[in-house]
This record gives sequence, C-alpha cells and structure tokens, in this order.
Amino acid sequence: MLGLDNCLTAVMAIPGALDAMLVDHTSGMAVAVSGQPDGVDPEKSAAALTETLRATVEGLAHSCPGDTVRVDDMLITTDKGHHLLRMLDTLFEGPLVIYVRLDLERSNLALARHRLRALSDQLLA
Amino acid sequence: MPPLDTLLAGLARERSTGALRVGRAGTVFLDEGRVTYMDCAQTPGVERLLAARGRVSEAALRRLQADGGCEQLLEQGPVTLGELQYCVLGAVLDAAFFLLPTTGTRPKFRPGERHWLGGRWYFDVPGLVRECARRRARLAQIWPAADVDTAPVRPTSRLAGRAVALSDVQWEIVVRADGEATSPELAKRLGRSSYSVMLAVRRLAAAGLLVTGEQASALPKRDRRPEARQQAGGPRPAGPLGPPVTADPTDIELLLRLKKALEELS
Repeated sequence: MLGLDNCLTAVMAIPGALDAMLVDHTSGMAVAVSGQPDGVDPEKSAAALTETLRATVEGLAHSCPGDTVRVDDMLITTDKGHHLLRMLDTLFEGPLVIYVRLDLERSNLALARHRLRALSDQLLA
Repeated sequence: MPPLDTLLAGLARERSTGALRVGRAGTVFLDEGRVTYMDCAQTPGVERLLAARGRVSEAALRRLQADGGCEQLLEQGPVTLGELQYCVLGAVLDAAFFLLPTTGTRPKFRPGERHWLGGRWYFDVPGLVRECARRRARLAQIWPAADVDTAPVRPTSRLAGRAVALSDVQWEIVVRADGEATSPELAKRLGRSSYSVMLAVRRLAAAGLLVTGEQASALPKRDRRPEARQQAGGPRPAGPLGPPVTADPTDIELLLRLKKALEELS
C-alpha cells in the first residue's frame, strides 16, 4: 500500500527526478525528504516552497475569473531544473504538497505531471 | 518537576514503550522510544477529524477500535494509508504544540500501553521539539503579539481598503467568529487543527483585519460596568438612533448574575 514514506520512492522513479519532498502546506513542514542536494536545508526549503505557493494562490485569486481559486499543480523552470509542485487535498487540513525537481535535459514534463497525478490518486483515493 | 520534553527525551533514550499521561492535558504514546501518537485536550484527535470529515462515524470507529483495529480500518477502505498517516502526523504535531510546554502536573508512565491508531508514523522526540519551536517562531514572525491566540477573535467591521484575499481557513474563521470565541475554540468548531487557526488569525491580525490590542480592550466587555468604562476614558460607542438607552448598573449586574446562574444550570 502506498504511504507517505514510500511515496517519495515512486516520485524519484519519475524519469529525470533530482530530488523530491513532501511538504505540509499549513505548517510549512517537510514531511519526508528524498535526495536533498548539498547546501539545501530541507526545513528551510519546505518553508520557502510553502511561501511560494501561498503567494501564487493569493496572486492568482486576483487574476482568475470567478471568486475562488484552486491550484492543482504549479511548474517553475529555473536554470537549476523544472520545479513541479502538486497540491493534494486531504481530509485533514493540508493541502499536502508533493515537490519534485526535474533535470532540464532528461525529464519529460508531461510524463512527470501524469505520474504525479496518478500517484496522488493512489495516495489519497 | 522536569519539563515534559526532558522527560520524553529520557524515555526515548531508554527506548521505552508505553503511555505517558500528563494529568488531564493529554497523553503521549511511545513505541521503542519514538512517539507514535499524542492526545491533547485542547486539540482535535484523529478520530474526531475522521468523523468531522464524514469519512467514518465515531460509532464505527469505536467498533473498529474494539475489534480489528487499525488494520481493519485500512482494509475496509474509508481511509487510505497515506491519509491516515497524514492525519496522525497533523494531529500529533498539533497536540505536541500545546502539550510539550505543559508543566505543573507530574506525568505518569504506563509501560506497554499503545494507541490503536499509533504505529503508522513515527516521530523522534528531538524532531518534535524542534518542529514545535519552529512553529512558534513562525507565528511570532507573522504577528508578534501572542495575545491574539487567547483573545476573542473579532474581525473589523469594515475593510481599510477595497478588496482582500482570504485563504480557506481565514474565510471559515470570519464566517464563524462571533466576537466571543478564541482561536482554539474556533478550531474545535471548524474541525481544524488549532495551529492552522492560530496561524490564520495571526495573518488576519497582521493584515489589519482584526480588532486587536488596545482597540480590543477599549471595546466594552460584558463584565465591565458602564461607569468603569467611562473612567477608563474609552470613547462612548455611538448608540442606536432614537431616545438614549438608560441602563441602571444594578439591573445589569442582576441580569449578569441571572445569566451566570442559568448557564451553570444548563
């Protein structure tokens, strides 16, 4: 059965995955970490990703049609790779965020998004 | 008596298994020195959260607890392993935030006792203590005055600007705030973690959407007599249109005493 602990193994199996993390969006806490690069503190990284997401949701709230906004996933491309974040609605608080950094050359974004969606369905069906 | 985290660190070193009961405040469950579950009187537990979201009724949970336990719960499939782990994770950290600073009661350790939902996610004691400190620092960073955590949540009646963006938790708070309930009380009503409500309330305060600090104490309190308010120099609130309302302080006191007596009766 897929749990929070072995979910990251599946995320890291996505072609081109460099490192991955599960983040609790409410508290900004790193729930699980896999393959963190040198010089990156997972705690700080999780808190920073949370703020990034929060700013995005707030920004989009003003630029989306309708009154409420629901972000499913978010993609940011930097010189260090593609950063893909997927938000999962859970029955408790949340959202739970799956974060994965993908290699610019070796990854396939469409495949990565598809895999993340499939994984989240398995994790919180 | 040593603080709770020192006591837990000791139990962790000895790789103890059992339940540490902290008076009425709550219980910490350990398995070989790692925390598997934490109960706190001030925060909703996993059972309550599952029931509040309508996944499993509390009666069904009690039946499962008596027969089959956690394995059965996962097998029947109203909750996936991932959801249960995330639920336990959130509930335990929420409880730890309030339970770890507890002092004054001598905790009792009962070896061998386990929680039926424990053992799905493990926390090491230093990690828990660190995370609680981080959460506290985060609250202070958003809005430094801790009094908003314990004071009644009072949203301002008018916006200072034209528009504002609210998060889902903030929306629920604004809808349910009645000017009396504090953050932990609202969390219970909303079926949300206390920490998330405290966080959202501090963000509201930082955005100037709450009546806070001096403004709040200038507001009339229920137990304060009218003349005391005038002596304090607070501005007299604009009364309703029409003839002035006369209120004899002795009548108000009698009404308050009556109200208190009625509340105690029910």
